[in-house]
Amino acid sequence: MHELCVRDLSLQLPNGKWLVQNLSFNVEPGQVLALMGPSGSGKSSLLSWLTGTIDPRLCASGEVWLGSTELTCLPTEKRRLGLMLQQDYLFPHMSVGDNLRFGLRGGSREERDQRISRKLEEASLAGMENRDPATLSGGQRARVSLLRTLLSDPCALLLDEPFSGLDATLREQIRQFTWQSARELPVVLVTHDEADIPARADILDLGNTP
Amino acid sequence: MSLTSRWGQRVLALCLIGLFLLPVIMGLAGTLLPAFGLTPELAPGNGFAQLLADPRFLPALSFSVFTGIVSTVLILAMTLLTLVCVHGTRWWSWLSALMPPVLAVPHAALAIGLIFLLAPSGELVRLISPGLSGWERPPQSWIVPDSVGWSLIIGLVIKETPFLLLAAVSQLSALNVSASLRIGRTLGYAPARCWSRLILPRLYPRIRLTLLIILAFNLTVVDMAILLGPGNPPTLAVMLMSLVNDPGSRAAASAGAVLLGALVALCFLGMMLVEWVVARIAARRRQSGERGHGVKLFRRLGMGAVVMILIASMSSLLLLLLWSFARRWRFPDALPSQWTLSNWTSRSDMLLQPAMTTLLIAVTVTILSLLSAIIWLEFERRSIVPRIDGIWFVPLLIPQVSLLFGWQAVTLWAGMDGHWWSVVYTHWLYTLPYVILILAVAWRELAPQWGQAAHVLGAGYWRVLWHIRLPLLRRPLCQASAVAVAVSVAQYLPTLLMGAGRHSTLATELVTSFGGVDRRVIAALAVLQSLLPLMAFVLALIYPVWHSARVARESGPSLSRAPDR
Repeated sequence: MHELCVRDLSLQLPNGKWLVQNLSFNVEPGQVLALMGPSGSGKSSLLSWLTGTIDPRLCASGEVWLGSTELTCLPTEKRRLGLMLQQDYLFPHMSVGDNLRFGLRGGSREERDQRISRKLEEASLAGMENRDPATLSGGQRARVSLLRTLLSDPCALLLDEPFSGLDATLREQIRQFTWQSARELPVVLVTHDEADIPARADILDLGNTP
Repeated sequence: MSLTSRWGQRVLALCLIGLFLLPVIMGLAGTLLPAFGLTPELAPGNGFAQLLADPRFLPALSFSVFTGIVSTVLILAMTLLTLVCVHGTRWWSWLSALMPPVLAVPHAALAIGLIFLLAPSGELVRLISPGLSGWERPPQSWIVPDSVGWSLIIGLVIKETPFLLLAAVSQLSALNVSASLRIGRTLGYAPARCWSRLILPRLYPRIRLTLLIILAFNLTVVDMAILLGPGNPPTLAVMLMSLVNDPGSRAAASAGAVLLGALVALCFLGMMLVEWVVARIAARRRQSGERGHGVKLFRRLGMGAVVMILIASMSSLLLLLLWSFARRWRFPDALPSQWTLSNWTSRSDMLLQPAMTTLLIAVTVTILSLLSAIIWLEFERRSIVPRIDGIWFVPLLIPQVSLLFGWQAVTLWAGMDGHWWSVVYTHWLYTLPYVILILAVAWRELAPQWGQAAHVLGAGYWRVLWHIRLPLLRRPLCQASAVAVAVSVAQYLPTLLMGAGRHSTLATELVTSFGGVDRRVIAALAVLQSLLPLMAFVLALIYPVWHSARVARESGPSLSRAPDR
């Protein structure tokens, strides 16, 4: 695994207001960087820029590296950055198993099926391959969504308020499941809630950047 | 029992749906009975035997199947290609702006414009003559007229692709396309794969009904087939039109209309079978995990196809305008050498009367359709009637020929044929579905709290409807009115059959005069026919903006600043 490195990132709104200016940071594998700040401070825009899906009306400059590979000019699909959003976006026309297979890369059919069964078992979702995502609870959906992201073998994980739609009990469960599953990856977490941030995380408050 | 009581309103709703379904049921009965020899006094003889004995029948049938299916497949392919290649790019706003004019132009007018573009003496040949082609006269053999039907297919693709595209675009917001693309791409899939595996499988069921309507239309279209088809063989619908005008062949015409209906039903089944097979294959391929590559060639191909369609449709409209003001335009000149207004003034008898009739029918039909739709949607909102969207599509799914042959026979029997109201009634039948489906989306989305807030302030039902609900729905009401005008102006077969030749509109005049009248006057007719719906669309666009600006001006500075607060 490689470290995720952002250099001299600047984001400017069409009206000329700077969201972020000359921001640089590194996230080592296994490290969590929590981005905090008030609404409109550019947290989600920063994640969109990292994934290469930023609104073209925003003016952006800077570099993003994964180890020795520069990602800045690569299309989204080549960056290998896993993304989880507040909504789980499980594809409604696919079963749980198909959603997970959609994330998987390579392997024979048998290997892929075995891997999915194993992962579902680890996530206490054994035997749910054929379930319609609409029949899952909020916590189950969140776990399937995270599994789908991790099965695509990302080199870093970007989380945009992934716990905010869940109730308090579920939230703690999913937090633990996420930190456990992503323990070897560099993780960037966007959140409003300090309780979401694990003890080992570094915090970057975008509200306080110049 | 008054109309304000719940039962009274239910009876009114029943009358409305009854009026809507009456021509459908009676029309089908009026077609089926003569076809099976059950009305010998009206249509003597064995219709099916007469039809099968006609040497034109089989070629016409296979020609209809070929042009109908190929054009529908191309329309679907063009729509999907446009979505995949253009949606989300900076070209999308351009395309969205150009779609309404193409949609507004009636089929017959666009077909004439295409003829001016593609014919041996058309603009395409003129542009390459004599420099590139060496032709000093229009060529004897050229891509148009073709015996295979490609001109008709091109015409249908140009006219119907924007319709399907608009139907697809209206559904995209419910699918959260940008989020699906974002998730799919972060999972490593190329954009085209994201579309084919994540968005299209969910989009297709939502546009299936529109596609079925297009398939039914393409298999049975009459006006475009008369103008763009080779004539020999004609399409089955055109052949049946020639039979219905012959009193001795009425049974054969009815039998043909029944067979055409069966053909459409068979094609629907075939389409659903193909859909099932494709869905199975797609579901299997989705699990393979292949990410695909971003192929620039594919993207450029899509962009190229979209640009070609736009150029063809826009230049067809421009050519209509040029021809309508041309005095002298010899081959191979690319532009007229002399201009005149006489095409408009000297044949004003041929232009004015049909234009007035068209306008009068369109305005009456629009008012009736709006009233019916408002009544129905209000009843639906107040749970007096259930939601029955499927029923409004019925007249659009049945071939016009199959329905109107019978309905004409019924009106003939009832002594209503040739009546102005019969024409209006039949136009209303084909306009109401579009109006109701456009308004239904806005009506159902309008928050009930607006009405509740007004009721709390003491306003009664009518005051809330007139002062709150209708003004809030001003924009969709304007859009629905424009669409109603466009649909009514384009109606050829309902006017021809119900009007019994007594009510000549621009659509009937254009098709019947084509070939027999100076092409410059034909161009003026086509421009006039296009202008009416275009003006309706422009008004629908301008009026809400003008009204908001007027309200802001009259309300003084405090209200005009409201959005900034």
